[in-house]
Amino acid sequence: MLSIKNLTASINGTPVLKGIDLDIKAGEIHAIMGPNGSGKSTLGKVLAGHPAYEVTGGEVLFEGRDLFRMAADERARAGLFMGFQHPIEVPGVSNASFLRLAYNKKAEAEGRDELDPLEFDDFIHEKIKLVAMREEFLDRSLNEGFSGGEKKRNEILQMAVLEPKLAILDELDSGLDIDALRVLGDAVNRLQRADRALLIITHFPRILETIQPDYVHVLSGGRILKSAGKELALELEERGYDWVLEASAAGGAR
Amino acid sequence: MTTMAAGSNLLVDLLSGPRPAEWDSLREAAELRLAGRDLPTTQEEAWKYTDLKALAAISFGPAPQATVDISAYLLPEMVGTRQVFVNGHHAPHASCASAVPAGVRFLPLSTASEACHALGTVKNGVTPELFEDLNSARFEDGAVILVPKNLKVALPLHLLFLTKADAPIAVFPRVLVVLEPGAELELVEEHHGEGTYLSCPVVEVRVGEGAILRHERVQREAPEAFHIGTLKAEVARHAQYHSRTLSFGARFSRQHPWVRLAEGAEGTLDGLALLDGQQVADTHSFMHHAEPNALSHQLHKCIVDGKARAIFNGQVRVAPGAQGTDAKQQSRNLLLSETARVDTKPQLEIYADDVKCSHGAAVGQLDPEELFYLESRGLNADDARNLLTYGFAADVLQRVPVASVRRALRQLVMARTQAASLGVLA
Ligand SMILES: Nc1ncnc2c1ncn2[C@@H]1O[C@H](COP(=O)(O)OP(=O)(O)OP(=O)(O)O)[C@@H](O)[C@H]1O
Ligand SMILES: [Mg+2]
Repeated sequence: MLSIKNLTASINGTPVLKGIDLDIKAGEIHAIMGPNGSGKSTLGKVLAGHPAYEVTGGEVLFEGRDLFRMAADERARAGLFMGFQHPIEVPGVSNASFLRLAYNKKAEAEGRDELDPLEFDDFIHEKIKLVAMREEFLDRSLNEGFSGGEKKRNEILQMAVLEPKLAILDELDSGLDIDALRVLGDAVNRLQRADRALLIITHFPRILETIQPDYVHVLSGGRILKSAGKELALELEERGYDWVLEASAAGGAR
Repeated sequence: MTTMAAGSNLLVDLLSGPRPAEWDSLREAAELRLAGRDLPTTQEEAWKYTDLKALAAISFGPAPQATVDISAYLLPEMVGTRQVFVNGHHAPHASCASAVPAGVRFLPLSTASEACHALGTVKNGVTPELFEDLNSARFEDGAVILVPKNLKVALPLHLLFLTKADAPIAVFPRVLVVLEPGAELELVEEHHGEGTYLSCPVVEVRVGEGAILRHERVQREAPEAFHIGTLKAEVARHAQYHSRTLSFGARFSRQHPWVRLAEGAEGTLDGLALLDGQQVADTHSFMHHAEPNALSHQLHKCIVDGKARAIFNGQVRVAPGAQGTDAKQQSRNLLLSETARVDTKPQLEIYADDVKCSHGAAVGQLDPEELFYLESRGLNADDARNLLTYGFAADVLQRVPVASVRRALRQLVMARTQAASLGVLA
């Protein structure tokens, strides 16, 4: 589904990603953990097509297509989704209108029927149940005045509406209360299918108990230093990152 | 710098006609102040950015009676609560006040002589501005609204000022709104027209103790029109006055909203201007915290395209002793072209020490982070831009209380921001 080869990227001339290799196949769930500032969000945003980041080398194939030849909106319509660590507020645009617009743009691109406001009403009511969101949030402006946790819930609602092939969820768990974490974790699991994949960026093993990854990667200093199964998350929680960094410096962590 | 050719004929012409009947003392006082005056020039600070040369070059005649088809302007909530004025004259056949509740007076000024003494008394401690005096000297008619004590009017009232100018004319709509203590009212004031004309409305508002007035003002004058409006509101103790001025039309428009807040009162002066081509829209507002513990809120937004120009000057005065004042002012401006221009300036005069005053002014383009967020959800760059531009404006419309007005304004904003094709009207 996604194949990243020796990806390097910088922002304002400062290299942040320094050679990332990662393969994600359909049906897989990957987790990325790593110290603050190591480049996790940068990786997500580069994949999503944020214009501030400059890709300086390497290549990424998404469903066999060269990702960097696609604009951000094309990537989204092709099935790539990024749930942001800090979702943006857009005053004056109602959440429901925005969701319908996004849905219809994707439907149009896939040659499916667009939904009129009434049809969309039925559709969205199923989706808000999935993420246990109160209806009033549909009428509010997109993310405006939403609490940190509410914004995250809204990201997952967008994911549920768009049903992406690959969802990159950047710190979904930060800012969520215990119940919300369980509800949204379950929602993400229910959206996962054999022909879809997930990339979960997190600092905490807790979310990985609900959304169980097949692989856990440690990203540090713009490189993936170690990859292993889900048990690595707990080991990291216990031991921190130093041992991975040291082992990597000694050339043995892999 | 431009100086007006001394003795432009505008004032002379406008004042040379016969003085309309009644309100003699108000008219005389205004004429006295106008004697020997001329249009302001760009050398006056308050008119620095707004050159009236184009106005002075036109010779405006008196406004004749006219008939206009008003079906396009009717709003479902207000079919039975409307007063219509055409070219400054009351249009009895187009008006309908059958649904106005008993006790509320909603009449043309020409038939409401009891308003005689109240007219021109909302002074706000400021010398009337030239165009306000012009109105006082020459208004033909207008509306008076009186809501008695503790009456909460369920239906909104609709004031429709239409101008139809076959040749250039000047119209001077006049409105007096008085809410007695504890009363509540929603008022929608609209200005539409066609042709070349000058419209100089003056709206005087008195909100009695504990009363609440919500006032929507929609300026959709003709593309060749000039609109220079004055709004003066005196807000009594613990009363609330919330107004929103939405400027879409006119080649040149200027708004002078003045609000005086008594103790514990609340005032809102929101504004939105959508400009393109050669349009100029100027707002010089004055929020006067005259007494302690009053709250004021101003959000002024402009979207400026083409070679248009927006000016905002937001004066806030906190009088000595007005402790506990809470005043917020935001001026936010979106430039859609390289040739568009915005001049925005907060002007705070604070003479008390225990106050909270915040103000901010921003002029810029769409936020790239917001654009990226929308694009990351599959909207192409054009759609994302149009949606954000729409949202920037629609933000001001969210709290418009009358549903049909809100819908009409959203549609208008959508059409003007190229967002109509997105079909996002909720
Ligand atoms: N716009 C920017 N300008 C300059 N430096 C930036 C910018 N954006 C990111 N960086 C830098 O890039 C590095 C990687 O940031 P990134 O947000 O990817 O980290 P992260 O791994 O997601 O961290 P966290 O766990 O705190 O979310 C950091 O050192 C950060 O300061
Ligand atoms: Mg991050």
